[in-house]
Amino acid sequence: MTTRGIDYASLSLKDALDLAVLIEEEAQERYEDFAAQMEQHRTPEAATFFRLMAQNEAKHGEELAARRSSLFGAEPKAVTREMIYDIEAPDFDAARAFMTPRQAMKAALASEVKAHAFFVAALPALKDAGVKALFEELRDEEVHHTNLVTAELAKLPPDSGLSDEDFVDEPAAQ
Amino acid sequence: MSATCEYQAKDYKSDLKPIWCPGCGDFSVVQGIYRALAAIGRPPHEIAFVSGIGCSSRIPGYTTAYGFNSVHGRSLPIAQGIKLANPDLLVLAAGGDGDGFSIGGGHIAHLIRRNMDITYIVMDNQIYGLTKGQLSPTSQKGRTTCTSRYGSLEEPVNPLLYVLAYGAGFVAQASPTDLAGMAATIEEAIRYPGFAFVNIQSPCVTYGEEAQQIKGLKAISENLTALGHNPADRLAAMDLAQHYGQKLHLGVFYRNPEPAPTYDGLVRERQALLSKDAPPAENILDLFIKK
Amino acid sequence: MRKDLVFGMAGSGGDGIVSAGDSLLQAAAAEGYHGVMTKSFGSQIRGGESSCRVRISTTPILNPGGNLDVAVALNWDDFLKFGAELPVSGNTVVIYEAATKILEADIPLVGVTPLQVIAVPIAEMAKATAGTERAKNTVVLGLIAGWFGIGAVAVMKGIRKKLAKKGEELVDANQRAFDAGRAFAMEHPLKVSMNVAASATKGQVKLITDGNDMCAAAAIFAGCRFFGGYPITPSTEVMQFFTDHVWKYNGAVLQAEDEIAGIGAAVGASFAGTKSMTATSGPGLSLKSEMMGLASIAELPLVIVDVQRGGPSTGLPTKTEQSDLFAAAFSAHGDVIRPVLAPTSVADTFRITIEAFNIAEYYQTPVIVLSDQEIASRKETLDPIDTSQFKIINRVVPTGVDLVDYKRFKQTDNHISPISHPGMLGGTYLASGIEHVESGAPTNSGSVHQRMNDKRTKKFDPLKERKDLFEVTGNPDAPIAILAWGSVAGVCREALEMAQAEGINVKLMVPYLLYPVAEGIYNEFFQSVQKGLIVEQTHLAQTFKLLRMHIDLPKGVQSLARSGANPFLPTDIVAALHRLLSELQRSHEGQLQPQE
Repeated sequence: MTTRGIDYASLSLKDALDLAVLIEEEAQERYEDFAAQMEQHRTPEAATFFRLMAQNEAKHGEELAARRSSLFGAEPKAVTREMIYDIEAPDFDAARAFMTPRQAMKAALASEVKAHAFFVAALPALKDAGVKALFEELRDEEVHHTNLVTAELAKLPPDSGLSDEDFVDEPAAQ
Repeated sequence: MSATCEYQAKDYKSDLKPIWCPGCGDFSVVQGIYRALAAIGRPPHEIAFVSGIGCSSRIPGYTTAYGFNSVHGRSLPIAQGIKLANPDLLVLAAGGDGDGFSIGGGHIAHLIRRNMDITYIVMDNQIYGLTKGQLSPTSQKGRTTCTSRYGSLEEPVNPLLYVLAYGAGFVAQASPTDLAGMAATIEEAIRYPGFAFVNIQSPCVTYGEEAQQIKGLKAISENLTALGHNPADRLAAMDLAQHYGQKLHLGVFYRNPEPAPTYDGLVRERQALLSKDAPPAENILDLFIKK
Repeated sequence: MRKDLVFGMAGSGGDGIVSAGDSLLQAAAAEGYHGVMTKSFGSQIRGGESSCRVRISTTPILNPGGNLDVAVALNWDDFLKFGAELPVSGNTVVIYEAATKILEADIPLVGVTPLQVIAVPIAEMAKATAGTERAKNTVVLGLIAGWFGIGAVAVMKGIRKKLAKKGEELVDANQRAFDAGRAFAMEHPLKVSMNVAASATKGQVKLITDGNDMCAAAAIFAGCRFFGGYPITPSTEVMQFFTDHVWKYNGAVLQAEDEIAGIGAAVGASFAGTKSMTATSGPGLSLKSEMMGLASIAELPLVIVDVQRGGPSTGLPTKTEQSDLFAAAFSAHGDVIRPVLAPTSVADTFRITIEAFNIAEYYQTPVIVLSDQEIASRKETLDPIDTSQFKIINRVVPTGVDLVDYKRFKQTDNHISPISHPGMLGGTYLASGIEHVESGAPTNSGSVHQRMNDKRTKKFDPLKERKDLFEVTGNPDAPIAILAWGSVAGVCREALEMAQAEGINVKLMVPYLLYPVAEGIYNEFFQSVQKGLIVEQTHLAQTFKLLRMHIDLPKGVQSLARSGANPFLPTDIVAALHRLLSELQRSHEGQLQPQE
């Protein structure tokens, strides 16, 4: 999780909304990549879960984008994707071959926690009241998401505790 | 030359699904490349991206550029032919540590002394992944692999010192531990007018050792800017590069403050000079007339 | 008056015998003669044994000739090292250095009595006239002018031009040496006059060049604008020509760090849309084979010139051989067809090299030009070539509709897919050595592999119908045939003429396309054939075997094969034809008189 060139003190509500949209967009793309990786490696349950996460992120993104356009119309963006790295998107190395749904959910949970930490860390630097309110809202949403994923995790049967590596084939030499 | 319209990272992403293992460091490298290319803004069709053979050498196919997934160790000669045939192209080469420093190791020195405007990205994971975990040229001494059951007997190659010693004008290192830094470093490498080398510590999730996974890398990483390193100082860069394997220095080791002329640039000058008043190629046999 | 003379001269590198040959050839050209010159060297960089053969004729020349008419030995040890490359017969005039102190009756030529043997104090005359023994070669040129009527004016004209910058003194010294040689010849006339008739084409423009330069010039003519290579004897001059000239046409050369990088850069340049080439000899061909396979599967046009020398390994680096045929046809693993073309002379190297580019571009494939040391390094005089008759073919590029959802390896009726290159909007694709689907995306599907192998091999079917890549001379219905390619073809052409003059009913096929084997064309040729000879300079009879692999050769077709550096003489071939003829007659008699 890193950012580049974001000046929180001068962040306007428009910029903050755009940033939030980009964060969701990044997360959505990462989950789609993960889903594709899982499909590629014949791990359909995890793939289904990651697709679901991608859809969630897309939905949030759309909601935020709608707010942005109702408030600011087509005014040009001042923030870019290059400013954010892995805020709500799970880390690249969070995926693994043969992930169980539990492992997939844990990866998602970690990224929600990460996003929460991002908004918490940004808050003290913010000056604009509207932006502050937005970040608080987003922070709380992450708490909500975290709770949802935790609840889903709880529904899963307990983990066998066995390592996949004891069952799966060795990697295939190419 | 390049169009002025803006490009986004996703414009460089192809529809091909990577064969890499989930969690592979190369996923982040390709992302870093998308971002760097978007920042530079050259349209994909003006980019030629060449690789050799290995897991990481699949990378050109995952971009929308003209890709060339060639044969083991030979990305650099092919890249040079492309650059000389059409110097207007943005030419990237990439591959793994085995591709670059073992089977293809002989080519690097010569590309460096020619200083063609080519950016070479090595995804260094200290292992042969595609063939299932054999010793690589950057594997640490003593490492056990399936071809070094009792531990390797060789010292690893130091890729950074190697290219610095041959006089590369731009030498940097990056890692997925700092994606923003990686994208910025790749971008800077591409913008450097001459041969640029970026060594990326890209963990192998399947065969890599624990210490070489993201967590382990984070523990030993240090940002060169934060260390106050002056990238114009080649000797200081070489000094820092000696810590390859123990420390993970991220950022630019060396950037020649006065970039030397490029081979491709000199070729253009020569062509411009000699093509003036040249007889047409149709009359080339006139050279053999004996009067 | 003679219409044709073959000179063979040998000495050590310091004797300047090859320079003398060059001067003689140029003088002959200036006087309107046709000429061919071949060189042969020992392995020393400087000062080793060196020799040249110069054949001069009033009519076009088919090969460097058989037995020598004139042998010049500045040193017998050196001369004898060339063995069969400088064959002396009973019709040869032998001229040698008197300072060798060997009596005319004792010259060390075994089993042959030359027409005439003359000891000449060449070194002494050089020292006396030019002040240095180094002018021996000029004395030799004077002797030749005096005895054989070639170059009396033109030799010194050429020398004067060559040395003009070095000062009058040097020119004068050479003139004195030349005059002394000529005067000696005038004072000691030959027993049988051997003056050559004046050429009918005297005064016409002639070109002089060797096979390597011709090959490079043809490449530039064909539009080749990139050369990647590595120095290797005897092909290096191809690269040198490029470094001298290609920049003028906005092209480039890369003298690479090794053979692999040389061809790699050429593959890259071709991928970038530029016609490109590499040149090498046997050891380099071995190293390049992986890249050749890559170019085949990636369907990239590329011309690889292999100037053959004796092999395997370092073999005989300065001598000619045809033993790379199998390597040219088959090196690189996998199921691959890679066209192989072979020129037979300096003159047709022009056409064959252009043809190689046309085939490479049209079929999107690497093509090997299988030259050999003799053609590559021999100099020929040529009449001006009408270059407007040569059509240049360029690769088919995608346009308009092809670029909508562009598929680089699209299946088409002729199995050839339009090829884009970096810079072309809409044409991006992944070139690869890995098997790929039509779009270029990697696959490991067996069915795709089958289909793509079909595509990459069937596309060459029309090439096997190209009759213009085969030369057939003699009576088309002849029961006796000769087949030869490369530099051996010229010897067989002359043998054909000799045999026909003797009334032997024979025909000759010279294939310029060696691979893929054009089964249909060969079958048609061999239909009338009962006895035949496949003549080649390979120890293993590679041509014979390659043909047998593809076609049912008539039983009476035999191999006449020998290792490199053992040249065939036209008379060798004629002798073999006599043998075939008598075999044929015996078998006919056998048929006429059925056994009781």
